[in-house]
Amino acid sequence: MADPSRSRATVAFLVLPGLAVLAFSLVVPLCVSVYFSFTDSEGFGEYKTVGFENYVAILTDDPVFWRSLRNVVVLIVATIFVQNPIAFVLAAILSRMSARLSRILRTIYFVPAVLSLVVVAKLWADVFNPTFGILNKTLHAIGLDGLAMSWLSDPRTALPAVIWIILWQGFGWAVFFYYAGLMTVPRDLEEAARVDGASTFQTYTRVIIPYMFPVISTVIVIDVISSMKQMELIYLTTNGAPGQLTQFLGVYLYQKAFVAGEYGYGNAISVLFVIISVGLTLVVQRVMRGRLR
Amino acid sequence: MKATAFLVLALALVPVYRAEAQSKVTIKMGDNLPDRTATWGAIIEQINSEFKAAHPGTEIVTESYQDQPYQQKIKIYATAKQLPEVFKFWSFTSLLKPLINGGFVAPLDRAEFEGLGYLPGALDTNTYGGKLYGIPVSTDIWVIYYNKKLFKDAGIDKLPTTLDELYAVIPRFKAKGIIPMTTDGKDAWPLSITFDLLAWRIGGERALTGKALDRKIKFTDPVFVQAAKELQQFVKSGLFQEDLMVSDYGASRNLFGQGKAAMYLMGSWELGLGTDKAFSQEFRDNVDAFKFPVLANGKGVVDDLMAWYGGNYVISSATKNLALDKQYLQFYAKRFPELAWEKAVTLPAQTVKPRPNDTTVAKTILKIVADAKSTSGTPALDLSTPRFKDDNENAIRELCSGLITPEAFVKKLDVSAEKAAKK
Repeated sequence: MADPSRSRATVAFLVLPGLAVLAFSLVVPLCVSVYFSFTDSEGFGEYKTVGFENYVAILTDDPVFWRSLRNVVVLIVATIFVQNPIAFVLAAILSRMSARLSRILRTIYFVPAVLSLVVVAKLWADVFNPTFGILNKTLHAIGLDGLAMSWLSDPRTALPAVIWIILWQGFGWAVFFYYAGLMTVPRDLEEAARVDGASTFQTYTRVIIPYMFPVISTVIVIDVISSMKQMELIYLTTNGAPGQLTQFLGVYLYQKAFVAGEYGYGNAISVLFVIISVGLTLVVQRVMRGRLR
Repeated sequence: MKATAFLVLALALVPVYRAEAQSKVTIKMGDNLPDRTATWGAIIEQINSEFKAAHPGTEIVTESYQDQPYQQKIKIYATAKQLPEVFKFWSFTSLLKPLINGGFVAPLDRAEFEGLGYLPGALDTNTYGGKLYGIPVSTDIWVIYYNKKLFKDAGIDKLPTTLDELYAVIPRFKAKGIIPMTTDGKDAWPLSITFDLLAWRIGGERALTGKALDRKIKFTDPVFVQAAKELQQFVKSGLFQEDLMVSDYGASRNLFGQGKAAMYLMGSWELGLGTDKAFSQEFRDNVDAFKFPVLANGKGVVDDLMAWYGGNYVISSATKNLALDKQYLQFYAKRFPELAWEKAVTLPAQTVKPRPNDTTVAKTILKIVADAKSTSGTPALDLSTPRFKDDNENAIRELCSGLITPEAFVKKLDVSAEKAAKK
């Protein structure tokens, strides 16, 4: 009797449920979105097709779209070049500590990651509150009155403040990944480097980091994707304020579709968003793969 | 044996279930009053239980969210064709008209609601294309609430009647560590209403912003530039809480209610502050309201009043219980004004009788209405398309964050108004 798992029909049949779920949760909504992006729909009522009008308007006449995209890029850069190095150094220190202390510290670092996003948003909104927030109160208490400000609504600090909240929450994950990666580095590799006269710094830069490149590249790809998706935290804290300085694509397309009643326009933003996300992810993966070789 | 017994039991239960299903009717409702234990929300619950008692077998299920999320939810429900049967909404062109155009709202019979004491014009604001689509629930006027004790503590015994006097009290409060005034800046609409009023106070002409929307004048006219300058000055002078642009409705209201701010710029629907048990007795005893000041060189007078009929109740056209829903609205229209005034939660859209035991703030609000020489009608941000509303709010946010000049602000409004007019 032929092995049924080798029959193409069986394989197709078994893959079908998964494909169907994928189709209905991803492909169909995307197609509907593409369709509405070519209309002037307000979400309900009559609408007409307008060709590429929405796309042209977004790309040529919508500074908020570009601002939102820029903010996404800033967040990606901050995640990769600020959060990741600090998380890596911390993970390296943790990996050299006593098991007990390391476990306690790892748990503490991971707490923000398990907190609900709403809690994190409200927590930091309160910390940054100019009237009763602990940050300003502390600054006043230690005589740094000049530094006290309305962190989330001052145009100078709003974007760094929301990025800080996002990095703070994601920090636990980064440490977690790097710590797990560091645990897989064979000790003899390190010892061999030391025997050859490498300093601790050289051991990390020449041996351990190259060895961990697959982990690093995975973390970076995840960072890029989660930065692109950023929506809830912005919605819950500044909602894009002041002006549109802290606007991100996820919030912006939601506001256009469901607040401004420009459903067609919002869908066009979401289609561009998908294209940009997929494009960026592919580029990052390609760059990483190049480095891996 | 067991199987037979089970079958008999199952069959016996079927008719009971069906009889139950036939006699029970559930009305799905929606509103923007999540607190069901105090003020407005509690009154709705009372009306609902009275209605259920009068109509046995009727169930009412209500979904409530804060203002802005609720508006978004209704839009999403309309898109998904899942609107509640009876829901609280707003009479505005920016909100109700798209729903009417989409055929989502059932028309009502005006004759059924006339004679219920509605104030002049109240039903008209809910009339589109000659048909009544909603029943108004409140008369909304724009005032400044204030905390008498905080004024006294700061040594201020005269309420500001001009903007210069208003600016003059700012340092007095700041010296005491008190925020002079709060409002909801995150949602921007209170600032937009204030912009309308400032233009009126400066130009002396009613509904100037509405005129600009009709393209009879331009938003780039000097009167609007000056109004924008004045609004920006409000923020720059430190009148409002520092984080104005990110503090939402609840946060700004709490700052006032908890005695951290001396004034609260908001509508008459907040007259329930005088009875809200969430705040201290001392606060409730000290809350009162005054008229928005005039400008020394302005042509408007203090009794030009921003007043409109915003909140309403509508019925979804997809309802399966139209007759019952209409009975509910009738019931609501009869009970609400009485209860709303008795519990001092808002100024109804129907006539109310002043009572000797009305709260101080309720008496003041009635007096402000009685003193009015001229009223505005719906604020401009709600007179046009949803897009104009969004543009207007975003431009106000930029103006009040100091990101754009008053000149750039009015230009933005004008471009948006032009687009809206073409639509």
